[in-house]
Amino acid sequence: MSDLDRAIAQLRACRPIPENEVRELCHKARELLIEEGNVVTVNAPVTICGDIHGQFHDLMELFRVGGDPPDTNYLFMGDFVDRGFYSLESFLLLLCLKVRYPDRMTLIRGNHESRQITTVYGFYDECLRKYGSANVWRYCCDVFDYLALGAIVLGASNTLSQPEGSQPGGQDVEIEVCNADQQIISRFLRKGSNGGGSAGGSQAGGSPEGTGRGEGSPNGAGEGRPTTNGFGEGDGPPAPSNTGPPGSGASGASGGSLGNPAGAVLCVHGGLSPLIDNVDKIRLLDRKQEVPHEGAMCDLLWSDPDEIDGWGLSPRGAGFLFGADIVKVFNHRNDLSLIARAHQLVMEGFKEMFDASIVTVWSAPNYCYRCGNVAALLELSEDDSGLGVLARSNGDVNRSDGGMGGQGPRGVLMENDLLGYNRAGPARRYRVFQAAPQDSRGMPAKKPVADYFL
Amino acid sequence: MSELQKKWAKARLSNSMQAHAYTPTQAMGTTAIPVPGTALPPPVSLPEFNELDEEDEDQFGSLSSIPNHPQDDDSSSASSVSSTGTVIPSPGRALFARPQGFPNRSLDPIPWTTYFERELFLPSSDGSITYHVYLTSPAPPASSGTTSSPAPGTTTKPSTGGPLFVTHHGAGSSALSFAVLGAEIRKRLPSAGILSLDARGHGLTTLSTPSEPIDLSLPTLSQDLCNAILLTAKAMSWPEIPPLILVGHSLGGAVVTELAYQPLLPPSASLLGYAVLDVVEGSALDALQSMQTYLSTRPQGFNTLKEGIEWHVRSRTIRNSVSARVSVPALLVDTTATTTTTTVTTVTTTTTVTTVTEQPPSPQPKTSKPWRWRTDLSSTQPFWQGWFVGLSKKFLGQGAKGPGRGAGKMLLLAGTDRLDTELTIGQMQGKYALQVFPEAGHFVHEDLPEKTAVALVDFYRRNDRSALVLPPKVSELLAQGRRV
Repeated sequence: MSDLDRAIAQLRACRPIPENEVRELCHKARELLIEEGNVVTVNAPVTICGDIHGQFHDLMELFRVGGDPPDTNYLFMGDFVDRGFYSLESFLLLLCLKVRYPDRMTLIRGNHESRQITTVYGFYDECLRKYGSANVWRYCCDVFDYLALGAIVLGASNTLSQPEGSQPGGQDVEIEVCNADQQIISRFLRKGSNGGGSAGGSQAGGSPEGTGRGEGSPNGAGEGRPTTNGFGEGDGPPAPSNTGPPGSGASGASGGSLGNPAGAVLCVHGGLSPLIDNVDKIRLLDRKQEVPHEGAMCDLLWSDPDEIDGWGLSPRGAGFLFGADIVKVFNHRNDLSLIARAHQLVMEGFKEMFDASIVTVWSAPNYCYRCGNVAALLELSEDDSGLGVLARSNGDVNRSDGGMGGQGPRGVLMENDLLGYNRAGPARRYRVFQAAPQDSRGMPAKKPVADYFL
Repeated sequence: MSELQKKWAKARLSNSMQAHAYTPTQAMGTTAIPVPGTALPPPVSLPEFNELDEEDEDQFGSLSSIPNHPQDDDSSSASSVSSTGTVIPSPGRALFARPQGFPNRSLDPIPWTTYFERELFLPSSDGSITYHVYLTSPAPPASSGTTSSPAPGTTTKPSTGGPLFVTHHGAGSSALSFAVLGAEIRKRLPSAGILSLDARGHGLTTLSTPSEPIDLSLPTLSQDLCNAILLTAKAMSWPEIPPLILVGHSLGGAVVTELAYQPLLPPSASLLGYAVLDVVEGSALDALQSMQTYLSTRPQGFNTLKEGIEWHVRSRTIRNSVSARVSVPALLVDTTATTTTTTVTTVTTTTTVTTVTEQPPSPQPKTSKPWRWRTDLSSTQPFWQGWFVGLSKKFLGQGAKGPGRGAGKMLLLAGTDRLDTELTIGQMQGKYALQVFPEAGHFVHEDLPEKTAVALVDFYRRNDRSALVLPPKVSELLAQGRRV
């Protein structure tokens, strides 16, 4: 058993590893991360997770629900530390796994992976408490500076993989919501799937399975949507709106335009930045620093989507708010079908917005041990049918030529096969889970509020 | 903190230690403190500031400012543990340690005139109450070349001009609680005005029927604050109400939230945002149980004003002696005095003695400790629950009928453990800005006036509606050959 495997075993038991091992681990991790670009490319299948916030036992529950690494390919979208009582164990375990299985574990940076934030929200105190010095905190912060800012998921399938007992017709499922025991809670079929490939707009708006995104859309004029794929502009009959559970795509508002349905998935902690108009610009940033207080890097980690037009002021005091139009234009311009992000607590664990062009994934159940929310992770399956999202080197030559040069898969898709498929990105399976039963060990007793005055 | 930073901090400290030797004598007559009638000192040119970095920068900021603002930081880490369990990685943490006592420090009162341009006594229309406010007028941008305060009525043009920070203190405190903060805000934002109100039953605000029990209910207090703003605007002949930032501490936080939540202000008034200092519904309601116990441990009175100031500093109720020296005198009243000794309160002390008669809670011998609390906090207990119930919802602006719905919201706490569930959720959904100063006590703005001012000024800048300027795109920056 190597040192690393021993460290993993020890951390899995929620016991911190010695300081010198942390130093060594962080050193190795940094060497590994320094080689990664600002935007890491990840191939499906992948399981995408949101904020963890030091809730170690819930992280174990997440692994139980989503599968153990390295069997499952994980992508964590930041905010590993702070608030929970086991930031240290959670982060070090993830880091160990990253070093041990670099290709099966992707970590990107959240706004809490910062010196300033961790001094206020708990990680610093925890390191001090558990090691008696700030050294470990310092090592970890040095690693934070090297974490990637985003990830691009390629090769995600338009159909869900059906591990066991797959039902026929699974190809039509766009969204599947499962509970922690692998049972399906709800399914949402792709709109137009019952039409079996009929062209034109009349079917596009129909959503017999209650996906509810078919309302006639004022923004259907389609700044982002490819018009060659045979679908209309969402002018079908209004579907029963909001027929699904909150947090599913069912509460989306309209059947507007989308980015490339066969595009990649961008994962980032917060969201978009007014400074960044395409993914390549992210690659140009100098990320190896403390999270700045403004600018593109700050925005990527701090911004939130909101029901507004264009850009707005973020009430958080950092980053921006951005509306549906921003997301759709960005997705179109970058051949993205979906943006996955974390950063905001969602009581239902996940929330799709803007016609499923962006989704918030939250993976800290019962946040702060008292918020009463459930958590979720997002599974994207591997495309093995040859019909789904094709690997493309985002940002490289020929990427934006409509796929006509060379492989030309996109053109093929559009002309022949897409009609029976979606226009709403990869098939998505959400696994929703609850907080793990918490043992009270190591949990600091709640201090009485003593010096509080009127 | 890197080794380099540590070294720098040490070097910095050894310098300031030398300077510190002169502090006591300098502190009173320091030229940095604006005097009414004279021009304010030129604004300190600060680097572009963002609230996120103040944690670090102000560690150094407080170091460098020792001579002017002796911060009683001797046990900051211990104190923050008591409230938050948070220890700050401050390079100066151990370096601040002083043996005990405050040997060289002056604890003499500082007059309000050091911090405010004027005081106003504003009788309400029905004559039932005379509001007492301290005011520093906001400067219109046209006259920004001369930072001297414009005389009433001489406002050059009816533009919005600088913002007006309207402050409301907590229960048992007074308008002067915000004196140092106001000056710090104006250092960073010279165009800003400060309006600080004495709530009824506090400070020098007087009621026409002093014998009756004072109505300290939340609707009354928020209406008072609204009236005070409007009466001030009238008294100063402002063409229109300046853009407002409401700042409330503790009970005051509930008051400003209520004012933002209810449609009290005239529609013409522009509320840019409201900031609440160290009060959260959940933890405040929890703390109420132990409040009477706390109050009973306070001294009933003091022999001198200086003793009162010393108690506040020594007990770490107020952890900044400059703040205590200006704010504490307003909390105490000399029950024996017919001739007053202090310079500032000379004019008014006699009147308040007669007006606020219900204060000495029990007829106690006046001989021993003549300086008593101006406000009898215990008697306000019937109102306590009402101040805080529903505060979190209102703060988030859910269902607000007033201007608070679209306004910026900031919560400034002395510890993250103060958050209740509702605000924890709200914070993680990005509904408001949260600032935490674990090294501060409950009187955040008095303990850390500089950091609080930086946070508030930045809060104003972000919420200033005159411009949401989007930054240039990365591609444009690159075209200009700039680093991204």
